[in-house]
Amino acid sequence: MGADVDSGSHDHGKKGPGVKKQKKVAAKVDMTPMVDLGFLLITFFIFTTTMSSPKAFKLNVPDDTAKDEEQTEAKASGAFTILLSKDNHVYYYEGQLLPDGSNFKSTNYKELRKVILDKKGRTPEKDLVVIIKPNETSNYKNVVDVLDEMTIAEIKRYAMVDISDSESTLINITEGSAPAKP
Amino acid sequence: MPKVQIQKKSTWVDMTAFVDVSFLILSFFMLATKFKPPELVNIQNPKSVSSENVAEKDVFKVSFDKEGRCFISFSSDDEAKERIFNMLDVLNTQKGISLTKEEKTRFVSFSIGGIGVPFTQLKSLLALTDDEFKVFKQPGIPIKDTSNNQLTDWLNALLTGSGGRKPANVMLNGDNAAAYPEFKNILAAFKKNGVFSFKLITAMESVPAGTPLYKKQQGETTK
Repeated sequence: MGADVDSGSHDHGKKGPGVKKQKKVAAKVDMTPMVDLGFLLITFFIFTTTMSSPKAFKLNVPDDTAKDEEQTEAKASGAFTILLSKDNHVYYYEGQLLPDGSNFKSTNYKELRKVILDKKGRTPEKDLVVIIKPNETSNYKNVVDVLDEMTIAEIKRYAMVDISDSESTLINITEGSAPAKP
Repeated sequence: MPKVQIQKKSTWVDMTAFVDVSFLILSFFMLATKFKPPELVNIQNPKSVSSENVAEKDVFKVSFDKEGRCFISFSSDDEAKERIFNMLDVLNTQKGISLTKEEKTRFVSFSIGGIGVPFTQLKSLLALTDDEFKVFKQPGIPIKDTSNNQLTDWLNALLTGSGGRKPANVMLNGDNAAAYPEFKNILAAFKKNGVFSFKLITAMESVPAGTPLYKKQQGETTK
């Protein structure tokens, strides 16, 4: 029987007179408390352990002091601007923003991937530039999510740019009148 | 009279195998466990598809939480320690905060959890004991004002102290709900000091099926 040491089994032989009977000590040890303790420690280690270690997401930002000619170089046909706002609202437009705002569209994070991939399919790779413009009310998660979308969609050229006044007023108007579904 | 013997069945269960298994699992967890470093700031990282592990040597980390507070922290290896001492020497002369050797050592031990006070409060922060430091709510490094973005000064001192040698791992540890302007101000402080490359700390997420990256990865594994 496993680890229970059976020491008493050979003592059944005859003993001479005068030989004191040895007291039999139960060799079986009750292991229940040991098991209890063992599992207690296991639970402790399970809870304290960090199985999924954090991952590093590389981000390179351009040098602002360098001349930003590249941005003006980008062809309007290949430009795709994503605007981030509060409550996970996303807006986008292709090319230049029309004065009447007719190409200004609203979407959400689930649809955004389709929209990006659709644009990527329609545009020659060398022309495609995605411009990300988070506004003051967007949060860090949104920014990282969109940057992550760039990785997922394998967009080579993208930039994070400050939002312009006309764009932020357009967002305010849209959200004031008919807020998009998050 | 024939005796009917009722066979007595022992209620004793042999637990040995059970113990063996449980201690095997126990030892696995003991070896596999890496204790979480004491984080003073509660930060929920966003997710990304990146699969690169976070480095642990020579780390300079800037954390920002949803309340808009900003903290800096260092890893606990010798290289980072050396950087801290050099940085504090520079700050002593630049800001005139005159930290003693003892206070610098305290800075090293506190910096693992995160330091987030304006320069004016640094000396009083370093006077706290370990227990007091754990419960002390730090106001965060001022970054909102572009004219007084103190993170710029910290970075400047850090880079000057190490002779322009950038830390191998510059990490940004941001909370999901942190506002974008905060992130922008931190980036601005880094840009001012000529640091353009970062690693954002994120939680892992699987690559969604059907996307270009997914197809690329599938292609790599089948090759």
